[in-house]
Amino acid sequence: MRKLLLFAGILLLLLPSTGWTQAQEDASRYLDPIEKKYSGLKDYTADVNVHFDIEALKAPDMQARLYFKAPDKMKVESKRIFFLPKEGGYFNPSLFKKKDFDVKLLERLVYDERKAVRLKLTPTDTDAYHKAFLLTIDIDRSLIREIKISPSEGREVNAMIEYGLFSNFELPTHIHLQIDMPTDEPSGMREFTQFGQKPKKIAGKVEITYSNYRVNVGLSDEIFKDSDPLKPK
Amino acid sequence: MKLLWFEIYKTFSRWRTYISFGFIALIVVMTEVVMKLSASEILYRMMKSFQKDFLIYGNVLNGWFITAFIMNSLHIHIPFFITLVAGDIVSSEATAGTVRLLLIRPPSRSKIITAKYLTTLFYTAGLVIFLALICVTFGLLFFGGGDLIMNYSAQFRIVFIPEAEVPLRILLAFTAAVWSMTVVASIAFLFSTLAENSIGPIIGTMAVVIVFLVLGNFPFDFFRMLSPYLFTTYMVFWQRFLDDPIPWQEIARSAMILGLHNIGLFSIAFIVFNRKDIKS
Repeated sequence: MRKLLLFAGILLLLLPSTGWTQAQEDASRYLDPIEKKYSGLKDYTADVNVHFDIEALKAPDMQARLYFKAPDKMKVESKRIFFLPKEGGYFNPSLFKKKDFDVKLLERLVYDERKAVRLKLTPTDTDAYHKAFLLTIDIDRSLIREIKISPSEGREVNAMIEYGLFSNFELPTHIHLQIDMPTDEPSGMREFTQFGQKPKKIAGKVEITYSNYRVNVGLSDEIFKDSDPLKPK
Repeated sequence: MKLLWFEIYKTFSRWRTYISFGFIALIVVMTEVVMKLSASEILYRMMKSFQKDFLIYGNVLNGWFITAFIMNSLHIHIPFFITLVAGDIVSSEATAGTVRLLLIRPPSRSKIITAKYLTTLFYTAGLVIFLALICVTFGLLFFGGGDLIMNYSAQFRIVFIPEAEVPLRILLAFTAAVWSMTVVASIAFLFSTLAENSIGPIIGTMAVVIVFLVLGNFPFDFFRMLSPYLFTTYMVFWQRFLDDPIPWQEIARSAMILGLHNIGLFSIAFIVFNRKDIKS
């Protein structure tokens, strides 16, 4: 009995200290290998196919060519109308720079049979970023496997990313997005039929497939002129 | 047949027949010019809830979208233009004092009223087809082509129709719009048969259309129960051709109900005209 009590006591002492150690750990160090891994990635182009499974958005699969140039230039070329989710829709390795976030380690876990960590990234500059991110990072391969936008204002986005190897860079081949976003109230006068109706949510799945990567081809800045999507004045 | 062409010739010889065509051209051109000038604002309002979460590329504000946008105003201004001719076609004979002359000629009353009704339908179809042609021509000229995005804001959803499917869908939608508008023409025609001047049928028809539209759209249970009995509920069935998937059963039902209205209204007009006392 005495031994049992001693064991329980030691366990009680150890549990908070393990948590305390984790909380104190500089979790931002998990972002360093990713930054280093993609430091040589100057630009890439890829074909994108987007498949929507959203009730509020009935659309066939959409195809486009995506151009990316580090650190943050992006352009989509499509002959037809093309919708790409803003959050988690495309891969930008320099999106999660440790200087922009307070990083906290939430847990260590096994993800896809590999060692992983789950981090919470809270933006230090709230003008640039409005919400916190939860990242699941495969620490063996230094890959972001899951991006979850911390639920705020009823919005939830969860992106699961699969990678392939292209010119020595592991780049996404498939992004599985789970979205749940509230729609805005219609602006201006409401139609008769809108009275008494609650705005529905844009909720469902989006499957984004990337193929035909061309990496570090030396994309010029000219390409990214007139690259804005629809923009109000 | 000769009688029908004679009625058509008579209708299209009047300058008032062309008021509608002129105003439709003016409305469409003005709308498209304004939309061209304030494209950004329209896009912002239209895609507001989606732009927050999606990057949207491509020609969203294209000729097909403009056409569908203008079609949405069909249930207000097109009925008015239809009544200008349909409400006048029989009553004008009484106003002009030609009704007796007309009815003592060899063609039977049945043939005369049928010819006048078919002329009304011809005019109605012509007006909607003119709207279609002018919308699509100017729309594609000013805004170009592309996939059609229908924003059903009342239902908080968006339907995306690939460009290859759009011309056929628009054709079907305008055919359905012609069918819807024939009911308005039939009401005006019936009132025209009952009246001896043109103002009454025009105002009467518009009053019926507006009151039915308002009653059918009030968000109260009583009016919701009433809406299946109002023809205006089925008049917007053309929109269903721009939905995904196309609800064929709903379309067939709406078309049938509107068709029955046409048969009923014309039958009454037919009986009234055949029994019309022209001696007094």
